[in-house]
Amino acid sequence: MESQATAVTSPAQDADTGANFLKVTSFNFFYGKKQALFDISISIPQRQVTAFIGPSGCGKSTLLRNFNRMNELIDGVSHQGDITLNGQSIFDPKLELIALRRSIGMVFQKSNPFPKSIYENVVYSLRIAGQNNRKMLDETVERSLRGAALWDEVKDRLHDSALGLSGGQMQRLCIARAIANNPQVLLMDEPCSALDPIATAKVEELIHDLKKSFTIVIVTHNMQQATRCSDNTAFFYLGKLIEYDRTTKIFSNPSQKQTEDYITGRFG
Amino acid sequence: MPDGPHISGSFDNALHSLRNNVLMMSRLTERNIANAAKGLFDRDSDLSNVVIADDEEIDLLEIQIDRDGVETLLRFQPVASDLRRVVTAMKSSVNIERIADQAVNIARRSRKLNAEPALPIVHALEPMFAHATNMFGDAIRAYADDNADIGRSLKARDRELDELNRKFAEACTERMAAEPHAIQRYLNLIFIARFIERIGDHATNLGEDIVYSVAAEEIRHTQAAPVSVD
Amino acid sequence: MENTFTENLDFFRGANAAGSARRSAGNRLLNVACILLALLTFVPLVSILILLLEKGLPLLSWDVFTQLPPASGMEGGGFGNAVVGTLVMVGLALVLAVPLGVLSAVYANEYAPNSRLAHAVRFVAKLLTGIPSIICGVFAYAVVVLTTGHFSAWAGGVALSLLTLPTIFLTAEQALIGVPKAYREASYGLGATTFQTIWRIVLPDALPAIMTGIMLATARAAGETAPLIFTALFSQYWMHSIQEPTASLSVLIYNFSSLPFAHQVQMAWTASLVLVILVTIANVTAQLAFRKK
Repeated sequence: MESQATAVTSPAQDADTGANFLKVTSFNFFYGKKQALFDISISIPQRQVTAFIGPSGCGKSTLLRNFNRMNELIDGVSHQGDITLNGQSIFDPKLELIALRRSIGMVFQKSNPFPKSIYENVVYSLRIAGQNNRKMLDETVERSLRGAALWDEVKDRLHDSALGLSGGQMQRLCIARAIANNPQVLLMDEPCSALDPIATAKVEELIHDLKKSFTIVIVTHNMQQATRCSDNTAFFYLGKLIEYDRTTKIFSNPSQKQTEDYITGRFG
Repeated sequence: MPDGPHISGSFDNALHSLRNNVLMMSRLTERNIANAAKGLFDRDSDLSNVVIADDEEIDLLEIQIDRDGVETLLRFQPVASDLRRVVTAMKSSVNIERIADQAVNIARRSRKLNAEPALPIVHALEPMFAHATNMFGDAIRAYADDNADIGRSLKARDRELDELNRKFAEACTERMAAEPHAIQRYLNLIFIARFIERIGDHATNLGEDIVYSVAAEEIRHTQAAPVSVD
Repeated sequence: MENTFTENLDFFRGANAAGSARRSAGNRLLNVACILLALLTFVPLVSILILLLEKGLPLLSWDVFTQLPPASGMEGGGFGNAVVGTLVMVGLALVLAVPLGVLSAVYANEYAPNSRLAHAVRFVAKLLTGIPSIICGVFAYAVVVLTTGHFSAWAGGVALSLLTLPTIFLTAEQALIGVPKAYREASYGLGATTFQTIWRIVLPDALPAIMTGIMLATARAAGETAPLIFTALFSQYWMHSIQEPTASLSVLIYNFSSLPFAHQVQMAWTASLVLVILVTIANVTAQLAFRKK
C-alpha cells in the first residue's frame, strides 16, 4: 500500500467551529541545511486531545516545539509554510513572541520546576507580565494548583521549595505553572515518560479534565498512552505525516500500512 | 462492582457502561421469555408478535456491547480481573442473544399452534419454563453480584432440565401415535421444549463465564473439579 | 544451556584465580597511593599555617590595626594603614572587575554564545589568566600613573582588576553553563524575555558558583605585590584619598621582610598571618552567605 506524504484526514467534527483551531499548512522545517519536517499539513481541533506518535527522530517533538516557536532558541533554524492559531499566523511579525508563548503553555519531558518555592513557580508567568497584586497571585495559585489536581497535597506548604516534591507532583506543578496563564493550547512533550505508573495514571486523568478547558497536543512514544488519553492521533515517520484520524480509527483499523506496521510493532 | 475505583474515571465509566448494557440486555430477554411463555399458554399471538419485534433491540445491544468491549480493550489495555470482566461481558452478550433467539423461536411456533386447536399437554411445559426462567434469572444475578457459586450451580440444574425435556418428548411421542392428525402440533411442542432446554444450556454457559470472570477458573467441558486458569 | 551457565559461574568463582589476585593487589596499591598523596598535599598547607601562627602570633594585637608602621629600627607600631589599603584596593578591583566579568559572561553565554565576539572574549580571557602579575602593574602604570602623574590607590585597583578579570569572567561563564538548560527552556516557554530569564532564574541559580569564582580571584589579588609596587607604591600614613600612594599588606610584607631589623621582620610575619586570616574570613563568609539552600 502506498503511503501518501500528505495523507491527512481531518478527524470527524461535529459542527464545531474549532476544527481548525491550530492549523499547520504545508510546513517544512530545517535545522540549518538538514530538513526535519516535510510538507506537514494538519488541523488540530479545539478542546480535544491530539496525540503525535512515531518512532524516535520522526519529527513529532520538532513540530510540537514549533507551535510556540521554541525551536527559535536554536541557531540556524528556518521554515517554510505556516502555522495559524485561531486564524492568526504565529509567525506574523506583528505578533509579539512573548504574547504567543503566553497563550501556549508547554510541559516538558523531564519536569523542570524552578529552584524556587511552589508558590513562586506557579506565579512566575504572572510576575514576568508585571502582575504583582498579592490577591491576584493567591487566586491564580489556588486555581492552577486545583486545576492540576495538586492543591490538596501542597496547600499547606506553598512556600516550600518545589524541588522537594516527588516526580509526579513536580510534573503536575509544571502543568499548574503552564495553565496559570490560562493559555489556549497546552503542549505536552512526553510528559509521563519519567514517571511511575501511578503518577502517570494521575497525570492522564488530569489531561482528561483539562481538555474541557484547553486544547491539548501531546507527544508520546507510548502508544497505549495515546489510546488512553487522546481523541485524535497523528502518526509521523521520518519527518512526514503518514496518517491522522480519530484515535479509535487509527488503532483499530488504520488506513496506511506503515501505520499498522508501527502500531502492531512490526517496525520502529 | 465490589472493588475500589480506578484512577482513570473514564475507565470506570467504560466498565460500568458495559455492565449496565449486559444487565439491560438480560432484562429485555427475561421479559421476552415471559412474553413468549404467556403467548403460548394464553394462546395470544399478539404477544408472540411483540416478542419477535422486541428481539431487534436485543440484537442491537449485542452489537453495542461487542463494539464497546473492543474499544475498552483498545483504549485501556485492562489486565487481571478487569480484562476478565470485559471478555466475559462480550461473551455473555452472545449467550444472552442466543437465549433471546430461543424466545423468538418459541414465539414463532406458538403462533402456528395458536392457529390450531389447543393441546392440553402444552401445560406440561410450565414447569420447564419455570425451571429455565429461574436458571436464567440466577445467571443474571450471578453476573450482577459477581457470584461464582451460583454460576457453578447451574450445571446440575441444567441436567434436571434435560431430564424434563426428555420426559416431555416421550410423552408427546406416545400421544402422537394415538392422535396422528395432531402430529404437526405435537412436533411443534417438542421443538418448543427443545428451545426451552437450549435456554438452560445457554444459561449454564453464562454461569461458566461468570466463574471464569470472578474466580479465574475454567469449568467448561469438564465434569471434574474446576481448574484454575492462571 | 546449563553447561554454559555453570561455566560462566566458574569464571566468576575464581577459575581465573591468579589474575584476580593480581587485580585486587593492584587495586589496593592504588588505594594506598591515593591516600598517601592526599595526605601529602596537606603537608605544605598545614606547614605554612603552623609556621605563620608560630611566627606571626606573638605580635598579633589590636595595635597592628590601629597603629602606623614603625620607622626603621623602631619598635612598636602596626600596619593599620596597610590593612585599610589592601581592603580598599581589592574593593576597587572588584568594583571594576565583577560587573565587567559577570556581564561579559552573561553576554557570551546567554545572548550570543556563538558570536565571534563571544569566542574572541573567551580566547582572550584564557590567555590573560596566564599573564604575569607584574605586567598588569606595568600596564596600569602606563595607563593611570603616567597620565595622572602620581601613584594612587585607584591605579592599584585598576592593576588588580586586570588580574582578577579573566578569572571572574571564566568562572562566571562556567557558573552560567552549570545552570540547567531546562530552567531556561521553562522560562522562555512561559513567555519570559532573555533579560527576565537571566535576572530571575539564571543568575540567582549561578550565584554561589559565581561568588566562589570571585573569592578565588580576590584571594589572589589580595596577595599580589608586583602590580602594587608600580601603581600604589607605599605610604607610611593613613589613607586620605584614593588619589594618593597607598600602603598595602603585600607591599608591607615585601618591604619589611628585607629589612635587617628583627622587629620589622617580625611585623612581616604578623602581616602575613593577618592577610591569610582576612582572605579566609572573606571566603567563609561568601560560602555561607551564598550557598545553595
